[in-house]
Amino acid sequence: MGPERNMKTEIAFTLNGFPVSLSVSAHKRLLDVLRYDLGLTGTKEGCGEGECGACTVIVDGRAVNACLYPAPEVDGRRVVTIEGLMDPENELSVIQKTFVQSGAIQCGFCSPGMIMATKALLDENPDPTDEEIRAALLGNLCRCTGYVQIVEAVRLAAEKLEKRR
Amino acid sequence: MIGYTYQKPGSVAEAFRLKEDTPEALFVAGGTDLMVKIKNREVSPKALISLRSVAELQGIAVRGAVHIGAMTSISELIRNEVMREKYPVLVKAARRLGSRQIRNVATLGGNLCNCSPCADTATPLLVLEARALLQNHLGTREIPLVKLFKQPGETCLATDEILTQVLIPAFNATRKGSGVRTIFFKQGRVKMDLAVASLSVLLQTKGNRVKKARLAAGSVAPVPLRLTRVEDLLEGDNLSSSLIAEARRLAEESVKPITDIRSSGEYRRHIVGVFVKRALETLWARSET
Ligand SMILES: Cc1cc2nc3c(=O)[nH]c(=O)nc-3n(C[C@H](O)[C@H](O)[C@H](O)COP(=O)(O)OP(=O)(O)OC[C@H]3O[C@@H](n4cnc5c(N)ncnc54)[C@H](O)[C@@H]3O)c2cc1C
Ligand code: FES
Ligand code: FES
Repeated sequence: MGPERNMKTEIAFTLNGFPVSLSVSAHKRLLDVLRYDLGLTGTKEGCGEGECGACTVIVDGRAVNACLYPAPEVDGRRVVTIEGLMDPENELSVIQKTFVQSGAIQCGFCSPGMIMATKALLDENPDPTDEEIRAALLGNLCRCTGYVQIVEAVRLAAEKLEKRR
Repeated sequence: MIGYTYQKPGSVAEAFRLKEDTPEALFVAGGTDLMVKIKNREVSPKALISLRSVAELQGIAVRGAVHIGAMTSISELIRNEVMREKYPVLVKAARRLGSRQIRNVATLGGNLCNCSPCADTATPLLVLEARALLQNHLGTREIPLVKLFKQPGETCLATDEILTQVLIPAFNATRKGSGVRTIFFKQGRVKMDLAVASLSVLLQTKGNRVKKARLAAGSVAPVPLRLTRVEDLLEGDNLSSSLIAEARRLAEESVKPITDIRSSGEYRRHIVGVFVKRALETLWARSET
């Protein structure tokens, strides 16, 4: 690996509701900025190629792979990561709790991505069918639990969120 | 040396100016193909010019033909009411492209310009007889989409050209009474996968008689392939089991599939044959109701 071209660019965006601005190398990915520049290591890197979904975050309301998202593109946008789901009392969100309750987490590596993909789904479609849940999570791989508990967790989260409305 | 500059022009005019200043720069759309290639060191650009902030390249408008901006995301295509109603074959294919995360950023222009034989939006657009608008600082040219694809990974675009719009003619819209019907099939190893083989068909019939047949297959030749011999066979003839059997045979003969990690060439050829039969039978049954 040769020397790095030092081409910095300024970015300013909203991260989990708070404004952030920083100077980053133009070739960085959103994933690098979150994990290394900002120290938010909840977002994981699995494949780095868009296949596994471990890096899923929400940008302007839509789930995206942070490993394929050029950092300069995040300028002016709203980003939500797994760290942003906790409520102000430091309580886990409904989706996080149902993942725990349903046994949808074993090693937990896929969980942040699964949960962010689930949040994006339920924000758009509060009452998805099992088929819709599976379709929405097709880009998220889990090597531990099997997907049955994960689909259950999403269904349970949908029910609980519905009651709150 | 790693690293590159990243520029975000707000108009195509500005994009062309930047490209003139930095001729070695690459255009990037959603980056779902290009970022992977950069990671794997298949390409090592010194400069990227992002088209994401170019408003002119966004959105879907109906002006006779449907004009789809090259930067329209795959998710936007799927959500668009006009597309769902008039061009369901493209929406069906778009739904099968990658995962939701990928579809939210992947663009139509990127899918076509990446020029993969398995590009999922290519075969539906070929059967819809889509045209492509290509632009550089000198002007715009319009070509039939089929001319865009040269070889795997290589389009007919000049290095300073941008694909700006994809045009779908109104006459191929699915409308009551037009007799136009379409279908899309894709076979992967798993649900989310690049196609082992795919097929789009547009059929227009009057009674049992085929007025128009358009067939295009993916992943079975160096570029997305129109099955023109099958089209010629079908047009003007009456649908029958024997005609469909002949169409299947001709389709299997027309493709030039390769063997790779996803599938053997033989299996690809077989699948295309099965798809042609299934597609024609399904569309035939639909016309009788
Ligand atoms: C995990 C994963 C799964 C995938 N699954 C599928 C699948 O099932 N089916 C499928 O078809 N594809 C799939 N892809 C490939 C990819 O997502 C699509 O091809 C996508 O549509 C590319 O669009 P993009 O905007 O991201 O292109 P980019 O990566 O930005 O660009 C691709 C190429 O086109 C050029 N380009 C882009 N736009 C223009 C333009 N307007 N004018 C001139 N040149 C341009 C770029 O310079 C680059 O060379 C997958 C990719 C990943 C990572
Ligand atoms: S790390 Fe981004 S999809 Fe695998
Ligand atoms: S819990 Fe281990 S990968 Fe999903």
